[in-house]
Amino acid sequence: MTALLEAKDVKKTYRMGRVLVPALRGVTFNVEEGKFVAVFGPSGSGKSTLLHVLGGLDRPDEGEVFVDGIGFSTLNDNALAEVRLRKIGFVFQFFNLLPRLTALRNVELPLTLADMSEKDSIKKAEEMLKLVGLGDRMSHRPSEMSGGEQQRVAMARALINDPKIVLADEPTGNLDTKTGREIVQLMKRLNEEKGQSFVVVTHDPAIAETANRIIYLKDGLIQKVKEGRRQP
Amino acid sequence: MRLKRIFSMAWGNMKLRKLRTFLTTLGVVIGITAIIALASLGEGFRVSIREQLEQGFELDVLTVIPGSFFVGGIEKFTDTEVAKVREVSNISVATPITRAPRSVELYNEDKNVTALVAAGVNFTEFAEEVFPDRFRRFEEGGIPEQIKNNTVILGYKVNHLNETESAFAHPNDNVTMTLTLKNYTFNVAGTLEKTGTAGFTSWDYWVFIPLDTARKIYGNLTDLIFVKVRDPEFSESVAEEIENLFSPYRITVFVPFSFIQQVNSILNMVQIFLMSIASIALLVAGIGIMNIMTVSVMERTREIGILKAVGAKSRTVLTMFLAEAALIGLVGSLIGVPIGYGLSHVLSYALSSFISPQQNSVFQVERATIVPIFSWQWAIIAVVFGIAICILFGLYPARKAAKLDPVEALRYE
Repeated sequence: MTALLEAKDVKKTYRMGRVLVPALRGVTFNVEEGKFVAVFGPSGSGKSTLLHVLGGLDRPDEGEVFVDGIGFSTLNDNALAEVRLRKIGFVFQFFNLLPRLTALRNVELPLTLADMSEKDSIKKAEEMLKLVGLGDRMSHRPSEMSGGEQQRVAMARALINDPKIVLADEPTGNLDTKTGREIVQLMKRLNEEKGQSFVVVTHDPAIAETANRIIYLKDGLIQKVKEGRRQP
Repeated sequence: MRLKRIFSMAWGNMKLRKLRTFLTTLGVVIGITAIIALASLGEGFRVSIREQLEQGFELDVLTVIPGSFFVGGIEKFTDTEVAKVREVSNISVATPITRAPRSVELYNEDKNVTALVAAGVNFTEFAEEVFPDRFRRFEEGGIPEQIKNNTVILGYKVNHLNETESAFAHPNDNVTMTLTLKNYTFNVAGTLEKTGTAGFTSWDYWVFIPLDTARKIYGNLTDLIFVKVRDPEFSESVAEEIENLFSPYRITVFVPFSFIQQVNSILNMVQIFLMSIASIALLVAGIGIMNIMTVSVMERTREIGILKAVGAKSRTVLTMFLAEAALIGLVGSLIGVPIGYGLSHVLSYALSSFISPQQNSVFQVERATIVPIFSWQWAIIAVVFGIAICILFGLYPARKAAKLDPVEALRYE
């Protein structure tokens, strides 16, 4: 199976005032097409930094990230934005929807950025919202929706451009257990139905059950890798 | 991202923050209002002045005056000199005037008036060729076919010094004029309607007698020569040719055409000066936009982070903010232009009550109303300028937004 996403010896150090804080100290791993990978680790283990680097939001100090064979270090900021737009979908802990836009407009946003015509993009966004079970909430704004609903919208937005890979940062971290479980189920279903790869940074044991592979991260290094119970 | 969608998003953002948008736009509205008000008023002022000048000056008539302000020069023209002026090229007629050196008393039975000037003119040349417009409308009578030695034409104000009383004289009345301490009797042939200001005087205060009669009384010398050129465009060259006939600084040629051109260029300068001052208001509005947008970028840091995470390029973020600035400029200008034009009417009304003419002044000017003129050219310039200023001042905050690091922007609370 070919690697869709490769991280090779990725290092990243933050500067907090005068102190240098190493967030990633040489992380190497692959994610193959269609895999659901969970990244476990305590706070400060570098999980979020890893996700940002994998998604091209942040550049590593050393090492290289490849998505679909494209090395990020060869790309300028514009080209990297293009990769984020076409090949990567993000889901965040705090949903990160645009508050003034309706669910439909939030989901449609990446299509708009990708220059799709309004007629087509609305149609596609509607279908995607139906897929995540929000066919009746399209014209609601984030403030009018529950956390679970907002995360579904975020999920729809992440998937709208048919990305190769979805990166999720604590997607259930801000939801109650029941809702969190529903979101995990949704991710699992999308992973199976649409074949997209998922990398999910989490504390949530429910996700571990869904994952094909679990990576344990501590102090910026991979401690161990465990193959999950579920295999594609 | 398509520009149309960027603008519709920017519009959505502006509607979301109504008060802020309103206040920011208000700055632009005020700036554009000031510019358009002054532009419309300036155009109106220019046209009104030009019309008044053209009423007062025959553009194709040069006045040749003996002497100059600085050197003195000759006091009167001899017949030889007048003959030389008549020979100048590109003129249709040159006509001499001999006039009484001081104001003249006129008597008609028990009535008595004063004429500022009693001028001896060649009626055919003077009234029919050089100044046909001013000798067209007579209250009574007219220029007789057979001009007698004692024919006189009265200016309107001579005949109606006091408008409430009856006319001083009517055609065929015999009036007595005291010229060089002697009394002469003249026969009134016509009384003129108001002619208004002509050059530096008003002919309403003049009486006109035949040139030959004046020369018999005052001698064969000429006080003024009026020269009609074939076209106003020839004014300068004709004036130069006439000046060259005399030794330097011996005469003065008054050229209304170049005078009007000079007045025009002065008006241009004044208008541009006033509008630059008005532009300061727009500049202040621009700084307001920069201020508000800087705050807005800070407030929307997280939103910018989201946009970038989802795949928006820096250029797209930049364009989004510039689109908001441009829309503020466009809306503000489009509102400011009609308000400015309206304001110019208010200002013109206020101004015209200040400069209403004084009664009984020698320089009788028609009531000076400035009708503001709407110029599409200025309107387009103002709108373009308004948008440009907004984009210019929006550039700094927009660049700040575009340069935000997505990870840090997402972390921003």
